[in-house]
Amino acid sequence: MMRKTRCATAAAIGLCIALAAAGCAGGGDSSSSDGQGTVTLWTNAMEGRGAQYWKDAAKAYHALHPDVAIKIQSVQNEDLDGKLQNALNSNSAPGIFLQRGGGKMQAMVNAGQIQALELADTDKANVGEAALEGVSIDGKVYAMPLDTQPEGIYYSEDLFKKAGITSAPTTMDELKDAVAKLKAIKVAPIAVGAKDAWPAAHWYYNFALRECSQESTQEAAKSLTFDDPCWTSAGEDLAELLETEPFQKGFLTATSQQGAGSSAGMIANHKAAMELMGNWDPGVIADLTPDKKPLPDLGWFPFPAVPGGKGDPTAIMGGAGGYSLSKNAPKEALGFLQFVVTKEQQEAYAEAFDTIPVNKEAQGVVTEPYNISALQAFNKAAYSMQFLDTVYGQNVGNAMNIAVVNLMAGKGSATDIAKDVKAAAEKG
Amino acid sequence: MSDTLGTDTADGRQSQGTPGAGDAATSVPPAPPRAAAHRRGRARMRLEIAVLSAPAIITFLAFVIFPVALAAYYGFYQWKGYGEPTDWVGLNNYKLILTDPAFHDVLWHNGLILVLSLVIQGPLAIVLALLLNQKIRGRSTIRVLIFVPYIISEVIVGTGWSLMLQSNGAGNDLLHRIGLGSLEADWIADPDLAIWTLMAIITWKYIGFAVILMLAGLQSIPDEIFEAAQIDGASYWQIQRRITLPLLGPTIRIWAFLSIIGSLQLFDLVYIIWGQYVSGTAGTSTMAIYMLAQGRNAGNYGYGSAVAVVMFVISLIVALIYQRFVLRRDLRGAVTEGTV
Repeated sequence: MMRKTRCATAAAIGLCIALAAAGCAGGGDSSSSDGQGTVTLWTNAMEGRGAQYWKDAAKAYHALHPDVAIKIQSVQNEDLDGKLQNALNSNSAPGIFLQRGGGKMQAMVNAGQIQALELADTDKANVGEAALEGVSIDGKVYAMPLDTQPEGIYYSEDLFKKAGITSAPTTMDELKDAVAKLKAIKVAPIAVGAKDAWPAAHWYYNFALRECSQESTQEAAKSLTFDDPCWTSAGEDLAELLETEPFQKGFLTATSQQGAGSSAGMIANHKAAMELMGNWDPGVIADLTPDKKPLPDLGWFPFPAVPGGKGDPTAIMGGAGGYSLSKNAPKEALGFLQFVVTKEQQEAYAEAFDTIPVNKEAQGVVTEPYNISALQAFNKAAYSMQFLDTVYGQNVGNAMNIAVVNLMAGKGSATDIAKDVKAAAEKG
Repeated sequence: MSDTLGTDTADGRQSQGTPGAGDAATSVPPAPPRAAAHRRGRARMRLEIAVLSAPAIITFLAFVIFPVALAAYYGFYQWKGYGEPTDWVGLNNYKLILTDPAFHDVLWHNGLILVLSLVIQGPLAIVLALLLNQKIRGRSTIRVLIFVPYIISEVIVGTGWSLMLQSNGAGNDLLHRIGLGSLEADWIADPDLAIWTLMAIITWKYIGFAVILMLAGLQSIPDEIFEAAQIDGASYWQIQRRITLPLLGPTIRIWAFLSIIGSLQLFDLVYIIWGQYVSGTAGTSTMAIYMLAQGRNAGNYGYGSAVAVVMFVISLIVALIYQRFVLRRDLRGAVTEGTV
């Protein structure tokens, strides 16, 4: 089947990777060692307006503080975590870097690799309590959040009209009704990229958000036991939704963001009507439309209410990341993070990334209808909950994602989810 | 050294920089002249071997042995991959792996892929090799067609097949257009079909390598043997069964060995086509997929390292047993003693 030379090739590739890693780690070094006021920042914004925002911000900050130079380095999103891990472990991390939050951030804190941010009252006012809470561990803030990422269902208004759906679904029954109507006009009602697991798992997370009380989700984060029956109810709700066959044909092998056949691609090409996603989705969809422009009829509505659930029906799920400082980052690095949450910077950020800024004063620049809907829902929410695979850490989150895919593939049951998650908790 | 060859002087004593040095200083009686030359030649040869093979050995140590040792070390810890590992858990990772039903699943899948690879590819490769060993028209074209998939990288192959086999992909579309719509299926995600889809792709991809090996083996059988058999009145089938197959033995055994090792380590095709989550539900996940999903993706680097060690040990045991019992005759005389 395979040749022995594979080893040699692998060794050669390994060598290249090692050299490349060493090369890029060398690049991120300057901030921590020279103390000349050069700070390196790693972001996953590769090109376009996003990357431009960071360059402009660095320039603007340099104009205000001529003795500090911020060096922006773009790292491919999928490569970022691995490179970062290598850099942190070899003590050559950039001063500022994109932080995914949750369990990964916890691991960095445990290893003493990042510093707590000493925020002034103005910073706290700029960012807002709710956003800071998402990136705090034991009362200390470890990352500077820049945008809020409320998750909900993105949908095509045109397809809804065509199917005769007059208003966005607010309950599960209305959603199922919408699914039936969309099937009648021969489009996939809901697109999901289950090959990546997490997009499918987000359906379960949102059901759990509706079924479980805030106390029990928080309790589970501490104890990592999932004995509350609501976890199983959430799985049963998902199984019930699956019976209506709401997802596109072959959803198990579909990716979420790559190409026209992905779930975002199907929304972009009007092959599917709905997709449950965080607020990065409009940007992804825009890249996949035939003319590479934003989808003009994109709308947003919050995850529908589930009858009998213990969670607050207005509660919303969202990501909470930001930018962290590595342990050797000079104090100028913190200055830059304080600078980017000020009003003008936040307005520029929101426009560059089509997103909702954390700074309430900057939220006036939000104009896209889907962002306005999301912002309204977010401001109305009784509480917000981070994505469960972030809250419960990589290990348990990964097991949860796998269990949900099993459920969707008909290989596992709702009760298996809590069981599998428990088994995973033993491993890490 | 003054002279490179350590030539002997006429009286049989080795020429030395300072005459007589060493005679009195050492109580060792001078060695017989020839042996001394011999010994020095041998030392030189050892040095040469050391110098010439050092780069390869160092590279091998640094990129193969060291990571393996490191994985063994990490395997004893519960470690998240950030900072130094601190939580020693002894053999607990191994206990969890060996009792994890998901690991039993992937072991079974690996075993199935291994057996099916041998059973499907072996006979097919031999038949194709016999066919291509004849003088037939278009032989070289067929050879190229069979061998091309082996040349293409796994990632390209995987991406291509995965796009074609999607339920709304080209494969089903073709069936639909030629009126075989009833045969349309979810080739990738359907657990009853997935393993056969995988085997079909593996066969298509790796059969070329097997055929080339078998062809080389066939070429190495002397024609006189066939002639003699024909003169003795052996039929075509008798010749193949009693002469070709036994003489192909060494080739078949080596190919099977490579195939077994490859099956145990299969990763790329499955990862590209199924991904690490759906492969579990479709029944095509392998040990390497499990290692990635339970190690890197779960952030349990200690656990993942332990899985790597388990894989390494399984492959090693299989390889040793195979060499001991199957390849023993073929390897005899292959490893030569270093003589001077």
